[in-house]
Amino acid sequence: MTPELVIENLSKTYANGVRALQNVSLHIPPGMFGLLGPNGAGKSTLMRTIATLQEPDSGTIRLGGLDVLKQKDEVRRTLGYLPQEFGVYPKVSALEMLTHFAVLKGIVDSRRRKETVEAILHRTNLWEIRRRKLGTFSGGMKQRFGIAQALLGDPKLIIVDEPTAGLDPTERLRFNNMLSEIGENVVVILSTHIVEDVSDLCSRMAIIAGGRVLLTGDPPKAIDALRGRIWKKIIERHQLAGYEKDCVVISTRLIAGRTAIHVVAEAQPDSSFEAVPPDLEDVYFSTLKTSDQKAA
Amino acid sequence: MLLHILAFEFRYQLRQPLFWIALVLFFLLTFGAITTDVVVIGGSIGSVHRNAPFVILQMLAVMTAIGTFLTTAFVANSVHRDFESQTDAIFFSLPIRKRDYLFGRFFGSLLLAIAVFLGVILGIAIGALMPWLEPMRIGPFLLAPYVQAMLIFVVPNLFLTGAIFFSLATLTRSLLWTYVGVVVFFVGYGIAGVFLNDIENQSLASMADPFGVSSFELVTRYWTIAERNTSGLSLTGSLLWNRVLWVAVAVAILAFTCYRFRFTTVESGKSRRRRVLDRALETAPASRAASAIAPARQAVSVARPSFGRVTAWKQFVHQTKLETFGAILGTPFLVMLFFGVLNLIAASSQVDDLYGTAVYPVTHLMLRAIGGSFGLFIFLILTFYSGDLVWRERTLRMSEMFDALPAPTWVTWASKATTLAALVFALHGAAMLTGIGIQAFRGFTQFEIPLYLKGLFLDSVPQFLFIAALSLFVQAVVDNKFLGWLVSTLIYLMGQVMPAMHLEHHLYRFATIPDAPYSDMNGFGHFVRPMAWFFLYWAFVSAALIALAHLLWVRGSETGLALRLRIARERLTRSAAFALVAAISGVVVVGGWIYYNTNVLNRYLPTNVRFDRQAEFEKQYKKYETMKGPRVTDVYADVDIHPETRAVEIRGRYLIRNKTDQKIDAVHLSLNPDVVIRSLAVERGRVEMKDSDLGYRIFRLDAPLDPGAETKVTFDLSVVNKGFVNHGSNTKLVANGTFFDSYDYFPHLGYSRGNELEEPNERRKRGLPPIQRLPKIDDAAARANNYISSEADWIHFETTVSTSPDQIALAPGYLQKEWQENGRRYFRYAMDSPIFDFFAYLSARYEVKRDRWNDVAIEIYYDPHHPYNVDRMVAGVKKSLDYFTANFGPYQHRQVRIVEFPRYARFAQSFPNTIPFSESIGFIARLQDKPDAIDYVFYVTAHEVAHQWWAHQVIGGNVQGATLMSETMSQYSALMVMEHEYGRDKMRRFLKYEMDNYLRGRGGERIEELPLYLVENQPYIHYRKGSVVMYALRDYIGEEPLNQALAAYVKATAFQEPPYTYSRELLDFIRRAVPADKLPLVEDLFTNITLYENRATKADWTRRDDGKYVVKLEVASAKFHSDGNGVETPAALDDWIDVGVFGEKEPKGPPEGRMLFLEKRRVNKADEVFEIVVDQEPKKAGIDPLNKLIDRNPENNLTSVSAGAVGGSGARQ
Repeated sequence: MTPELVIENLSKTYANGVRALQNVSLHIPPGMFGLLGPNGAGKSTLMRTIATLQEPDSGTIRLGGLDVLKQKDEVRRTLGYLPQEFGVYPKVSALEMLTHFAVLKGIVDSRRRKETVEAILHRTNLWEIRRRKLGTFSGGMKQRFGIAQALLGDPKLIIVDEPTAGLDPTERLRFNNMLSEIGENVVVILSTHIVEDVSDLCSRMAIIAGGRVLLTGDPPKAIDALRGRIWKKIIERHQLAGYEKDCVVISTRLIAGRTAIHVVAEAQPDSSFEAVPPDLEDVYFSTLKTSDQKAA
Repeated sequence: MLLHILAFEFRYQLRQPLFWIALVLFFLLTFGAITTDVVVIGGSIGSVHRNAPFVILQMLAVMTAIGTFLTTAFVANSVHRDFESQTDAIFFSLPIRKRDYLFGRFFGSLLLAIAVFLGVILGIAIGALMPWLEPMRIGPFLLAPYVQAMLIFVVPNLFLTGAIFFSLATLTRSLLWTYVGVVVFFVGYGIAGVFLNDIENQSLASMADPFGVSSFELVTRYWTIAERNTSGLSLTGSLLWNRVLWVAVAVAILAFTCYRFRFTTVESGKSRRRRVLDRALETAPASRAASAIAPARQAVSVARPSFGRVTAWKQFVHQTKLETFGAILGTPFLVMLFFGVLNLIAASSQVDDLYGTAVYPVTHLMLRAIGGSFGLFIFLILTFYSGDLVWRERTLRMSEMFDALPAPTWVTWASKATTLAALVFALHGAAMLTGIGIQAFRGFTQFEIPLYLKGLFLDSVPQFLFIAALSLFVQAVVDNKFLGWLVSTLIYLMGQVMPAMHLEHHLYRFATIPDAPYSDMNGFGHFVRPMAWFFLYWAFVSAALIALAHLLWVRGSETGLALRLRIARERLTRSAAFALVAAISGVVVVGGWIYYNTNVLNRYLPTNVRFDRQAEFEKQYKKYETMKGPRVTDVYADVDIHPETRAVEIRGRYLIRNKTDQKIDAVHLSLNPDVVIRSLAVERGRVEMKDSDLGYRIFRLDAPLDPGAETKVTFDLSVVNKGFVNHGSNTKLVANGTFFDSYDYFPHLGYSRGNELEEPNERRKRGLPPIQRLPKIDDAAARANNYISSEADWIHFETTVSTSPDQIALAPGYLQKEWQENGRRYFRYAMDSPIFDFFAYLSARYEVKRDRWNDVAIEIYYDPHHPYNVDRMVAGVKKSLDYFTANFGPYQHRQVRIVEFPRYARFAQSFPNTIPFSESIGFIARLQDKPDAIDYVFYVTAHEVAHQWWAHQVIGGNVQGATLMSETMSQYSALMVMEHEYGRDKMRRFLKYEMDNYLRGRGGERIEELPLYLVENQPYIHYRKGSVVMYALRDYIGEEPLNQALAAYVKATAFQEPPYTYSRELLDFIRRAVPADKLPLVEDLFTNITLYENRATKADWTRRDDGKYVVKLEVASAKFHSDGNGVETPAALDDWIDVGVFGEKEPKGPPEGRMLFLEKRRVNKADEVFEIVVDQEPKKAGIDPLNKLIDRNPENNLTSVSAGAVGGSGARQ
């Protein structure tokens, strides 16, 4: 039985005055949970706080019966964490380093540790290069190594911060498969700004920006809520400013050299706009847009 | 473009805090050095101005060596930061030329490093204006020395070190390697310095020194006070060539760097190949990705983690292994270790050398070499690695991963602490193996492994473990690697510097303990106890620091102190709190016990308080100095030495007599205040004044003592050593090797000036007038006393001394009786002839070697470990007695005893028929298998035996020049014995050291240099100059006439009653032996400070028809008289000076070659030309070629003789 992660009223202000988290509350049940937000939204702060690496100014985090902020050691025993950015001991091989991580994760029986490490090496496709020094790893190899260490030791709470950055499409696919497989039984928090990953994988999600939770829920419902309100138009680039003044433009993208804008509106702004079925990206952008307007 | 990059670099680094910190630090350092005595950077001593040009030059030169760390930081950083911040890719793709980029960065940062030295200049210039400095120690402001120092030292040195480290950082792209380079550079510098330290290789040494400091020293080594205060430095000779050489090296390095540097972000060929391989590997497995998922699935969660103590322990072991092997097998450590070992080998090569003669490489000397050469090294490695280890995960950006792992926090720091400890042990192990290797290599196989283990692992290792704990704590708390390095270095340095601020207690000087010198005779002796207590104390302090480090250890991304304090409260579990409380209690309890020992059981006297007491004694009682009191005529003493408790009991009586022609109504007694007085009484007298604190008493006599009448002083005293002390532990009363003399614990009549404060500046601070080292030579009244004793003339001496049954106790006199009683061993000694009032007691477990010379018994009392040179001492005594009895007069005793004492002091001293001789001044000199070495054992023996004539028969009155009759004459006597034994060539080598020591000694004079006949107990004059002068005198007038004069003088003055003889009288005897035409020489040698500047300017030869060679030698000569500060005035030249011609150098012959011609010629003008005919082909010729006269540039006295025409008549015109 995997417990739920409950975050209540979490706030954090850095010494330089940046308010990284403002009264964040989240219920995260077992399964994949996507955390979406732009750079600087507070995602990493939130993740690090859950991963026992940072102290909030106020608020609580509970994992089942555990107080995450107080019972750090207990939390760490069930934790798998992949930070957004990390390095490696350059002179140590992947096998040695993973073995060492396994010891530190409490797998001290050497025979079983060997099996576990070998399994994870296979699983993350590092087996062939397990004896190579980590210093010689490419970005993708290093990322796989990071994933491997996060998955070691059968964690119940997995926190992965931008895990697919630096992976090529095949690897990304492979990793997503792995995650969703694990996510059946445990709490997996996936932070990303790739909306597609969340819509593919996550049963629940939250969008945060400026340290606040703007939206929580499951992706299909959020998409449903926008149904009939997203309109698209192909325009010339110089027209963009005009449209931004008149309508709520949530996104612009280039299609074959021309600019396509998505606008959110209760009714069709004019006949040149066509209705499009919303996707999670529209949810994301419209949520951000709305919060911007509120802030302004 | 270059200028633009340069300017950008300069402005960029100018904004960095490092520049400003460095500027302020350098300012403070030099300001401190100029204005206080706490900071010492070369610097001024005695009468040299605090801001003298010499001091400015030296300080700036020395600071460039220290500044290397700065150059490294600025210059190495200038390019390296692009690699580190990974902006290299951006910069390298810009359209700039490699040369502009590199040199712009280099010179920009170099300019900044030079700018830091503004701090030094301001520190000196502003420091000299400070109002609290004694005005007489401040000279006028001069701009020239600053400019000279900047141009000669600062700019070239920074350019050189900058180039080296810039090159390293740029080409290796690794800061670690650059720092390894810094360490290697310094150690290499140190090693070269040691190997080249010998007097024989000075010019090579001066070239090899990249900082030019050695050249500076070579040029200024003989500078007098006046020159130090006024002279500038000219860039000539070896200094010029040194500078040219090293600037050229720097240019070459820069050119090489520019040539090798590539605008790429790939490190090396090897890793380039790697990358290609990577690409192949990366694409291959990816295609199999999908199929690989399935089998992996069953493999999940095979192992359940477990947690608890066992797991934590295993995690600790695993982590420690990883860290330790990583550190110890890492190339930087191995490189530094390698150089540490080299440094040790270098340092061990000259331990305890005297006159270039080595000693046996006994284990404790190896330990001392290790301590001296390895200590700083270990400290640097520890400091560096503590920062490196604590920051390792964060530097590698692995910390987030690590910190979220379920291992207890203590596993992290404990593994790092253990790694540091492992480094300490590895370094000590390497040091021990190196030490043993050195011993074996030198053919010395008495390895004392237990002593190695004790000295390294019980004495040295703990101190470094404490430092490791401190560094770890500082790194954990400060949370900035560089600041951490700085703070722990400062704490360590504070411990070393605090004594200069009179904060001397080891309780607050981190990881320091009282000195624990080792002696073969006494082992670590009583020093073990305080060492153990202080170690325990620092162990508790370290434990507390570690506990605090645990609480404040950074785990996670919170590094602010406030938040960490919050986390610390969470970490303060029951066991953590217990550990902390236990450690702090330990600190308090052990610290309290130490304090009780050092400050309650014993008196804790920092140096300034000691000086205050000396000053106070002088202020209170100097008024009694000239008072005429009774004089001691007989001494009877029972002395019980208790080696095991380090105590002595002294019961005795003095017979004192009124030798004046007036009544005496009071007896004054002074006594070392550390002595416990059970009773101290004067017969028919009562105490009128008693000052126990300073140790002075006045007894009023019931009835005044008539002229010629006698009375008695009786005393019952004891000296006990309770507990242990913080510093200045008594080394005179020890378990094996007790040695004290009558000045230590016996009462004295009247005021004794022996304990007056001598340092002029310390006297000024305490309002004392300038010291009068000795009364003026014409102060006839002062000659009522000899210069040793102010309370007696010739005394009758009897004593009984007892000690432990396994030891032999000695005192002057002949053994009358020896017996055992109450489990103690008693010896009764009596002297059958009068001696002067100076006697000593010794006790130890001795071997005894006995021999005879005619009717004189020779006995050497030595430690069983030290048999090496005992026969040599016996021979020395015999040869000395031969020579002295034949030349100066009969020996007054029937016995000569040489008695070894521990190396706590390094001298030999002559008492009547008894010569205490330190174990460090010849007992382990290595002479048996080194026939070429200077036999200083023989020399010291002869010198001390000579004192039986020159001091114990003839003793000078208490006026200037007194030591001419004791020390200089003993020195001359020893030289003659040595010359007859070893020949003239060896004497010349010996005298070279003497001349060098004299000339150097002049610059260190604190008050005033005096001519030899007015010497005021100045060792560099009465020993060193004395040797040179007497040897020259002998050369001019011959051994026989000189000795006859001396014998006549001895006959006239031996055992005389006051007034005592003085140097004028001796000179009169000498003058009678000097031919009239050489009489001025006596004035130049004895009554003036005379310096010659003799120089051979040109020499060539032509061959005559008869096959002989005619050498035409041109010389330049000058003579100067110097005043007490070294200000020279030219003196009229009319001297007889050696002129010599030398041929081929023989394999074992003297360095200048076979002597073909040597004759004294009259020189009375500055330039002379001599024509000399010799039989063989001449190679060298010169004036005063054997350096008999005092000459500050002895090297240029000889020149090569160039070949002229061979044969034919053209040669003769």
